[in-house]
Order: sequence, then structure tokens, then C-alpha cells
Amino acid sequence: MIHARRTGLGWVFVLPFLLMFVVFYLGPLLAGLGMSFTDFRSTDVADVLGVDPVGVQNYIRLAQDEAMVKAAVNTLVFVVVCLPLTIGLGLAAAVALNSGIGRLPAAFFRLGYYLPHITSIIGIAVAWKFLLEPEAGLVNRLLELIGVQGPAWLQDQRTALPSIIAMTAWRGFGFDMVVFLAALQGIPRELYEAAEVDGAGRRQRFWSITVPQLRPVILFCTVYSTVGFLQFMEEPLVMTGGGPLNSTLSVSLAIWKQFGVGNYGYAGAAATVLFTVIIALAVLQLRIGRSR
Amino acid sequence: MNTTTRRSAAGLLALAILAAGCGREASKAPEQAKDVATGKVAGEVTVWAIGEEGKALGAFAKDFESANPGVKVNVTPMGWDVAHDKITSAIAGSATPDVSMIGSTWAGELSKTGALEPTPGNLIDKAAFFPGAWQTVDVNGTAYGVPWYVETRVFYYRKDQAEKAGVEPPKTWAEWKTFVKALQDRGGAKKGFNQGYTEGSWQEMVPLIWQAGGEIVKDGTYTFDTPEAITGLKQYASLFQEKLAPNDTPKGGFPQNFIKGEVGGFISGPWMAGVLNNDGGAGFKDKFDVVPYPKGPVSGTSFVGGSDLVVFKKAQNRDAAWKFVQWLSEPKVQAKWYTTVKALPAVQSAWQEPELTADPQLKVFGEQLKDAKTPPPYPTWEQLAKVMEGELEKLALGKSTPEQAAKAIQAQADAIGTGL
Amino acid sequence: MKRTRGQHVITYVGLAAGLLLVIGPFLWAGLSSFKPESEIRRDPPTLLPETWTLGNYAELLERVHIGQAFMNSMIVALAIVAGNLLFGSMVGYGFAKLQFRGKNVVFALVLAQMAVPAIVLMMPQFVLIAKLGMVNTFLGIILPGLINPLGVFLMRQFIADLPDELIHAARVDGAGEFRIFFRIILPLCRPAMATLGLITFLGAWNNFLWPAVVAQSEDLYTLPVALNILNFAEGTHYNLLVAGSVIVIAPILILFVFLQRFFIQGIATSGIK
Repeated sequence: MIHARRTGLGWVFVLPFLLMFVVFYLGPLLAGLGMSFTDFRSTDVADVLGVDPVGVQNYIRLAQDEAMVKAAVNTLVFVVVCLPLTIGLGLAAAVALNSGIGRLPAAFFRLGYYLPHITSIIGIAVAWKFLLEPEAGLVNRLLELIGVQGPAWLQDQRTALPSIIAMTAWRGFGFDMVVFLAALQGIPRELYEAAEVDGAGRRQRFWSITVPQLRPVILFCTVYSTVGFLQFMEEPLVMTGGGPLNSTLSVSLAIWKQFGVGNYGYAGAAATVLFTVIIALAVLQLRIGRSR
Repeated sequence: MNTTTRRSAAGLLALAILAAGCGREASKAPEQAKDVATGKVAGEVTVWAIGEEGKALGAFAKDFESANPGVKVNVTPMGWDVAHDKITSAIAGSATPDVSMIGSTWAGELSKTGALEPTPGNLIDKAAFFPGAWQTVDVNGTAYGVPWYVETRVFYYRKDQAEKAGVEPPKTWAEWKTFVKALQDRGGAKKGFNQGYTEGSWQEMVPLIWQAGGEIVKDGTYTFDTPEAITGLKQYASLFQEKLAPNDTPKGGFPQNFIKGEVGGFISGPWMAGVLNNDGGAGFKDKFDVVPYPKGPVSGTSFVGGSDLVVFKKAQNRDAAWKFVQWLSEPKVQAKWYTTVKALPAVQSAWQEPELTADPQLKVFGEQLKDAKTPPPYPTWEQLAKVMEGELEKLALGKSTPEQAAKAIQAQADAIGTGL
Repeated sequence: MKRTRGQHVITYVGLAAGLLLVIGPFLWAGLSSFKPESEIRRDPPTLLPETWTLGNYAELLERVHIGQAFMNSMIVALAIVAGNLLFGSMVGYGFAKLQFRGKNVVFALVLAQMAVPAIVLMMPQFVLIAKLGMVNTFLGIILPGLINPLGVFLMRQFIADLPDELIHAARVDGAGEFRIFFRIILPLCRPAMATLGLITFLGAWNNFLWPAVVAQSEDLYTLPVALNILNFAEGTHYNLLVAGSVIVIAPILILFVFLQRFFIQGIATSGIK
């Protein structure tokens, strides 16, 4: 670390950004926080001060709101399943691409796998709806070939959330793959060579060298994905609208819907809780990840 | 005083000031409309319109410009997904246009912000419009804007399947079910009838309450737990219970299932005719037809929706804005607008124009419009609509009974209130 | 590490199967954009167009000002990328190599931003933009996008790994802090900047709600906003949507093809940890 001649100099580099940060994010964030303690609705936008403070009433309502509680459970399930899935797929793809195959094919596959991550959700939704369509969809047609009658994936309460999870993992693993690929290239070859001399098999080498060496990036992907996944919304919005019977409703989508019907105060309260949970989880993950 | 107490005292003081500054005013007196100048107008008029209408209005307004030299109409189209957010944001930021198209259930909410101008009586004649349509802009006795075009819901069915099954389209609730059953058994519509149970489903349920002789609002309070309302909900639920309507339709699966013939009928608005003609391909036009809503115990009242035109208080060019709105409400212009984007005139006399009398399917809509209502334009309506959609989905999936649904909707409606 | 031929074959087969799963939907959407609308809706769907047509693109061009929207999207995305590169590296440098009071708190605060649902911020942000008179301007669309916590994070990680001696040596030579930053630090940041640039471009290019709300005239509509006008609950023009999706994806694809080498290098060297 370098001590600038005047400590003020650091601020000079940071200040323009920070000013904008305060104006465009911190301010609005605090406004949202303040909003959550009032009965602010869309009808009050022209007269922001003309609202009544309601204390923590919005927060109490959250806990009593069936849909919100359901959304919280769904979000939790989503994160717990999707996180290992995405990281696992990303790692598998990265290891395969790094296993010494030609440079050009590797670049080609890399691009292909990364493609879903860089595409807007609209294009993806169109394609996936066709895949999952109960009768004409490709997935059920393939299942038919092996004599299984597939469910109406997105219309069945049991399969809707798993379908969304699969789609999100499909869409997101490319990012993890790229990060892992980058990290894999940084692992010294000598480690593997030494292990090979010692007679370690492929599996052993993977678990005793690759995984420990990748720990920092795995931690990064975990934290980064958790923050993103806890806010997942686009996928259910375009695929199911949160249904059937709220089985794919996420917290962010519920907030978005409340916002849509004009309950700004209530939406603000839900957002504040979500924000707090995300930060708490991220800090926790970092603590655990680094302490080991 | 030590620092801590001084600080907390200051904090309390700040809070008290804030609390005093906040707070809702006691209910405001109804607003009075101000007349507008009716003479020559000039200058620029900024107009926002949504979807197809947004794409078409710019070119359409050229006629207005040539009739009023010196006026320039600037139309900005926007998508339906974003229109509501965009308008509320614009109100919040005092960056509203002069005129905007809005959804037919938004007038209550938007007028409550205080951003909309009451409709000047000296320019607009309320009697010219369909009464059901006028209800969409009438907030507790004060009108904000005018209905622009309307849509109403009628009964669509597969003509070929009905012929095959040897049945006539239904005229009553009872016939409705036997009709669907016949289509299922003999017409090839194995899934029966497409009745919505997700987004927008309330628009198919509320007419059933009206048809049973019920009201959803009486004297400023919601009435969803009346016997009539339960009768309506029962009719709605029975189609699902008796397997006459599927409850596993994929999002976006309709109207493909109608074109494929899996379902033989549905309730919807005039735009579906265009969609079917387009998506069904050549010849599909002859395979379906429309009839008015089958009658319930009391009436065959349908739902009327559409869109309204509103003028904002902060309009830069008030006179020209209202003149433009008034121009769009002229019968001849309304008829021409129908030929442009197939939007049905909200002005009754426009239906006498030749453009509208030619099409027999259109007549059905014209007839239905005479008996069609709209939900009250309460600021909290959208919120209640979401509640209804949730309860109707439960009903459709067999997770609740009509009585439970009525009770649940009523309880939440009471909690939400009218928002006026 | 040496692998046998057989192992390579297995790897290739696995990768190819995975690739088919991953890009299958895109391939289908891409090919569909050359089918007439009736064929897109056909059931069962066709893979290869039976009748090839450019009609969807032609209709899209006619109904939406695609050229203009494309340019607008470019302007907005490039400006946001440029701003992020500058801000990200400056702030990253500040956090990584300079010492000042309250640094860690501020850094944590900036990162915490990632956990805020964007929808809650939209209304206050819009009011701000309106008060600044920037509604319906490029500036209004761009400004909030210039603040990106991920950018600060990435650049800080990368710059922290650069040797301090470089900076010391420059100071000894009498260079000012800004000179050090622009002449020494920035040129070294290229790989990290490629990464950040691509990520930011993606976000800005696909962003929908904010530009939709701030742009009040069609001349300022970005691609997603312009395409959204065609999107209705029922009777969506699928043919136009697939064609539109292809137009949206194409530039990103091209960008990634060219930048992917730097991109990976950037992530590798920014030492995410």
C-alpha cells in the first residue's frame, strides 16, 4: 500500500464517482428507505410529502402476506439449488475446455457456452417456451421417445420452479465458466506434474489441486451469484408471471408487482428487507470462505 | 446537556418537523373543470400513445395538422409494459406531455395525483359516448379526459366445430355449458372452452357477477360477497370443475389452442378477430364467429375496456391539446381511426358511419356495447385486480370454493379500500 | 499434462453435446427469423426454414426506426462503457493504491449497491433527472449507468496486484499522481478494461426500463425500448420479435468474438479474491 504525500489525494480520485454515487444511488436508496415507513402510493407522486407515516406497519404486513412469505421460500429454494448447479456446470465446462484441447475449438465452445449469458431475456424466453411446451415442446417429445409422458412443465406447481431453475442455470453458468477458465490458466503446471509423479489419478488431482487452487474464485462466484440470484426476477416474469399459484414468485418479482400496482411504501419495505438479507448473506459467505 | 442527549434531542426535533410536514390533507373538494378557448390554436402538442395506436397516431394526426395550420402534433409511441411506469414517473418529475393515452382503468389513480385536467364541458359532450365507456373517466362525478376507443367482450366460437357437433351458439349460461360439452364430444375441441385464470382473468369473472344481477361496488364499498357475486363465481368455477375449461394452458398458449381446435371457444375483445385472421392463416376467417355474451340469470352485461385520452394540468399547450382530443372524438375521425388500427369508436354515432356498418361481426360488438359496464375507476383498482387474479387462479385449480373465493376477495378488497 | 487420444474424443463429444443444448435455442431463433410468420407458428415447428425470407427484417425496418434505435443504443452503451472505464479505474486506483480516511467504509458502501433492487431506485432517480432538466436527453439516460460497483471492484482487484515499485519509481522521478495514473497505471490496465468494458456494454445494451422511462421521444429510443412497442399481451408479432432479437444479439456476439481473449486474460489477471 502506498501512502500518498497528502492523504487527501486519494479522495481526489474517488470524489467525482462518490459524488454521483451519493446523488444517484445513496439518495434514492435513503428515499426508498424513508418511503417504507409511510403509506406512499403511486397517487402521491406529485405531492411526496402528502403521505402519512405508518411506522413499521409495512414491515408487519410483509410477514403476514401469504404471497410474500411464499416468495421468500421460493427465492431461498432457488438460490440453494441454482447456486451449486451453476458453479458445478461452470467448473465442469471450464475443466473440459482446459484439458488440452485445441485452441480454436476451445474458443468456439467458450463462445457458445457464454452466449446465453450475454443474450437478452426476451429471445431466451421465446425459445424456452417452445422447448417446454407440454405437447409440441422438444423436451416432452424426447421424453415420449423413451415412453415417458412429460408434465406441463411451467403450468404444474411441482415442476414450474425446477424448470425456471434449470433455465437460469443454463443461462448463467457461462459466466462462472469464464471466471474458472481464467483461474485455471493461473494454476502452475508443476503442481500437476509433481502430483502425477507421485501417482495421483485424475480424480485425485482434481480434488487435491484444482479445487483448492480455485477456492478464491469459487468464493467470488458464490458471493456474486448469491447477490444476483437473490434478486432473480426476469426469468419467472417472462416465463410464468410468478404462477401457477405463486409457485415461481420470487421476492424481487413480488416487489416489482407491488410497485406495479402502486404500493410504493410497501414495495420499499420489502426491498429493504431483501437488501438487508443479501448483504448479511454476502458478508457471512465471505467470512466463512476466508476463515477456512 | 451532554452531547448524546443534545444529539437525540435534535434528532427528535427533526423527526417532529418531518412528521408535521407530512400527512394527508383532509379530503379535497371535487375539482371544477375550466373552459377552454375554442378558437384558433397553434403551436406544438406532445402526445404519448401506447402500442399499435402509438405507431399509427403520428401519421393519422396529419389531418388535424392540415385542418389547423400552425399546429404540430408530436406523437411518442410506448410499449404497454412500460406505459404505466412512464406516466407515473413523468408525473413525479413534472415532465408530463400535453396529452396521453391511458389504460381504461387508470383514470382514478392518475387523477388522484392531481396531474390530470378535468374535462372542459364546453368542448366535450358526455352524451356522445357510450355510457359504459364514459364511466372509465368519471371519477366520483368529475370527468378526467375522454374515452378514445372501446373494446368489449363477446363470445367467440369455432363455427366449423359447432356445425360438426350440430349445435347453435349459446344464448344462456345453461346453453353455454351444453354447447361446450357438445363441442368437446362431437366437435373435436377436446379441451373445451378457454377461460382465463391468470393475468386479466378478472375481466372474465366480473361480467358474470353483473349478469347474475350483482354489483361489485355499492355506495362506495366493495360487494364481492353477495349471493349474486357467488352465483357469478360459481358459474366461473363450474367450467373448470366440469372439465369444460382447461386449467393447464401454457402462458402464451392461447389463442394457438383455438386455432388448432383444442378449444372451441373463448370470451374476448375485438382485437382477437384480427389476431385470429392473421395467425390462423388463409381461410381461418370462415372457421370462427362471434355472438353476444350468453345471458345469466339477470342480464348479458359485458365488460367494456379500451383506452382514454387525458390532458395534463402542466400541458404547455392546453387549448390545442383539448382541441386535438376533441378532434379525435369526432364521429368521422373515430370511424377513420377504426379503419386505421381497428379500434372501436367510443362515440356512439360513429357506428353509423359506413366503415363500421359493413362488417357483420362488428355488429355483434356494437350490440354488446349497449349493455357493457366497467369497474369503477378507483385508484386502487389495479391492486384489487391482482387480488382477484390470485383468487381466481386458486378457484380454477380447485384449491378453493366459490364461497371461499368471494370471502377472500371481499376481505382483501375491504383492506385495500377504494383509495379515493 | 498428457492426454490420450481417446480421452480427447470423449471430451469433444461431451462438449459438443453440451453446446447443442446451450445454443440449440439460439440456432432455432436465428433460423426462425428467416421464416415467414405462419411457419414460425407452425406446430410442430420446423428447424430449417422451408421458405427463406428476409420479410421479417424488412417489416421490422418499416415499423420500427431500427437504424436510429441501433445508433442510440450504441451511443448510450459506448458512453456508459467509457464512463465506467474512467471512473472504475480512477476509483479502483484510489481504493487500491492510495491511503485515505474512511476508505474501507466507502468501498463497502459502494459494493452494497449491488444488493439494491433497481426498481425501488427508479422513481427517485427519475425525479432527480427531471429536476436536473435531463429528461428526454442522452445525458439523462446515461448518467446513472456510469456508477457501477462491479467496475470499481474489478479494477481495484486488478490494480492492487500491480507492483508498488512502479509507482514508487515514478514518484522518485518526480511524476505527479495524475501523471502516474494516466501514464503508468492506465496502460497496464488494458486486460481488466476489456473485461469491464464487455460486461458494462452488455448491461447497457440490454437495459430496458430506465431508457424507456427517460426517453420521451422516439428519436431517443434504444433498441429494446423500440422493440417493446411491438410487444402485446396477445397477438405478439413473433416474427418481428425473433428478427429483433437477432439484431440485438448480433453486435454483442461480434464484440465478444473479438474481445474474448482479452476478456479471459482480464479476469485471470484481476485476481478475483
